[in-house]
Amino acid sequence: MPTRKLVTSYTQDLERFPDLWDKIGLWIGFTILILFPFVASSYWLTILNQAFIAVIGSVALMILTGFAGQISLGHAAFLGIGAYTVAILGARFHIPFWLALPIAGILASLIGLIIGPFALRLRGLYLAIVTLGLLFLTEHILMSFPEYTGGVSGLSVPTHLGFTKVEGEGGLGAFSRPSEIFGFRVSFAHKIYFILALLALGSAFLCSNIRRSTLGRSMMAVRESDLAASVIGVNPAVAKIAAFGISSFLAGVAGGAFALQQQYITIVPPFDLSLSIQYITMIVLGGVGTTFGAVAGALVFIICSPMMEWVGSHLPLINKLTNAQQSTLLFSVLVCIILIYEPFGLYGVWLKVKRYFLTWPFRY
Amino acid sequence: MTNFLELTVSGIALGAIYALVALGFSVIYRGSQVFNFAQGEFLTWGAFGMIALLEAGVPWGLALLGTMIGTGLLGGLVERSILRPLVGRPIFVTIIVTIFIGAILHATAHVVWGSDPMGMPTPWDAMKAFKLGEVSIWYNSLAAIFGAAFALGGFFLMISFTRFGVAMRATASDQETALAMGIPVGRILGATWFLSAAFAALGGVLLSMFPRQADMGLSYVALRAFPAVIVGGLESVGGTILAGVLLGVVEVYAQGYVNPLLGNFGQNFHAVFPYIVMIAFLIFRPYGLFGLKEVERL
Repeated sequence: MPTRKLVTSYTQDLERFPDLWDKIGLWIGFTILILFPFVASSYWLTILNQAFIAVIGSVALMILTGFAGQISLGHAAFLGIGAYTVAILGARFHIPFWLALPIAGILASLIGLIIGPFALRLRGLYLAIVTLGLLFLTEHILMSFPEYTGGVSGLSVPTHLGFTKVEGEGGLGAFSRPSEIFGFRVSFAHKIYFILALLALGSAFLCSNIRRSTLGRSMMAVRESDLAASVIGVNPAVAKIAAFGISSFLAGVAGGAFALQQQYITIVPPFDLSLSIQYITMIVLGGVGTTFGAVAGALVFIICSPMMEWVGSHLPLINKLTNAQQSTLLFSVLVCIILIYEPFGLYGVWLKVKRYFLTWPFRY
Repeated sequence: MTNFLELTVSGIALGAIYALVALGFSVIYRGSQVFNFAQGEFLTWGAFGMIALLEAGVPWGLALLGTMIGTGLLGGLVERSILRPLVGRPIFVTIIVTIFIGAILHATAHVVWGSDPMGMPTPWDAMKAFKLGEVSIWYNSLAAIFGAAFALGGFFLMISFTRFGVAMRATASDQETALAMGIPVGRILGATWFLSAAFAALGGVLLSMFPRQADMGLSYVALRAFPAVIVGGLESVGGTILAGVLLGVVEVYAQGYVNPLLGNFGQNFHAVFPYIVMIAFLIFRPYGLFGLKEVERL
């Protein structure tokens, strides 16, 4: 099955949404995005907030694993570094959150640039295990300095708007209080919804731009074969290190956003191997190597998890497990089935649906 | 000195178990280039299966054999039902699928065995130690060393001298040629999963003896064995075993000597230390001790 229509010129090749169908899908998604916070309950609003954070994180992993082909089990380490940077900057140094987020990204990106050179010498699983080592080391360091990170008991994350410390509200800062805008009462979840939505859209935009730029194409050349890439004039070192840098920057931002949204963070859970694996699930579920896959995989993963818990609680035997285990079990079965029948993931499903309607009433 | 010798023996005992687990990874990787992230769950299934058999009144030796065969069959079933349809797909997808197989096995283990830790009964007195001059050696450490050595020795004899072993080596070296020579590659791959799950079950039983217990955390031991697989070199079975024993010794030494030096930072540092050693090692030998340097052709 072709993954896109025949391209006859460079302008066509560079188009971000080549089909009418893509545009229709985009506008429907955009409308839902705007209208959602006005109709949704606070439970679903929180879930969608988490989904946006997952979109940022899975876009980050998609650039590293999907485009550049570097398997990483240490994604949770970058998320954790981002989250704790935002938390510590807010709690101890009273830095406003809009400044702490990019700092978190830059710090995570520096760590990523240290790990990047390992990718020049190691390949495949050797690299995956080194990144796993990075994750364990990060966990250990975060655990070893409880005076900064709060250790096992965790740390609350204030959201300051300015540089001064704000008293009251448990020290959480002015932004976390509901405020009045045009006579409407706007809660913290609503306010952060729009911030997270902008960040998620921005990172998806960045991802699709990287994909159609020189950098993205050189990453994909390296993914297929770095020897062949260097023969045709692509520098694999630059592509790999750039992938690590960009990916860990976005992962740091996602971690920081997670800390802001949760308002209280601990080290394990969530920042352990299972989080890394969740992000790998998202990109494989969505379809490796596409921006659509990163976004759709993250959204479906996060939005389906509470549904899976609901299904699990109605099945015999499985309802003996905890909620998290139920959703893990059902999700794992689902992902195995999807990967056995549809190796391109949701992207493959989307292509099939599109083909069906394009060629209707004929079979493709 | 006594302390040093005692640490060495318990390090070798732990390392022998790591070697069993790491061998499981290596056997499957050699056969099909798949890195099996579900390996750790076979440890849990083995340990709990053993306890269930013992509670049913099966004698100890027979129960161990039954556990190894049962867990091995579970491994073979996983290969036949989930991985066989994925042959020919990108290896990346297959590796991801093993992660989910692991998650499924983990959750079903919770359903079947519950989540309470259980002690592993042993035919000898588990609290007793054997005195060699000043040095006291746990009977359980000896059991781990001899059990693992026996299994690994048997594996090497089988792979070197039997028809089946030759077929396994042929499959590992080139699947297509092996098929052309009339070797049933599919069945051989099933057998590698059987062997690796059986070794993991033995490792799980040995690991859950006193002073440890059988609990759901056993599967994390497989994560701790990764440095052995990597340092030994993914393609090399012998290297993996050597590195496994070294890993156990390094971990126990780190626990005994490095942790106290680091004060607050040293708590549980021994769990991370092998990874640091591994990363330092890979800078100098990116293919591990005995791994094959990839020769690429375009």
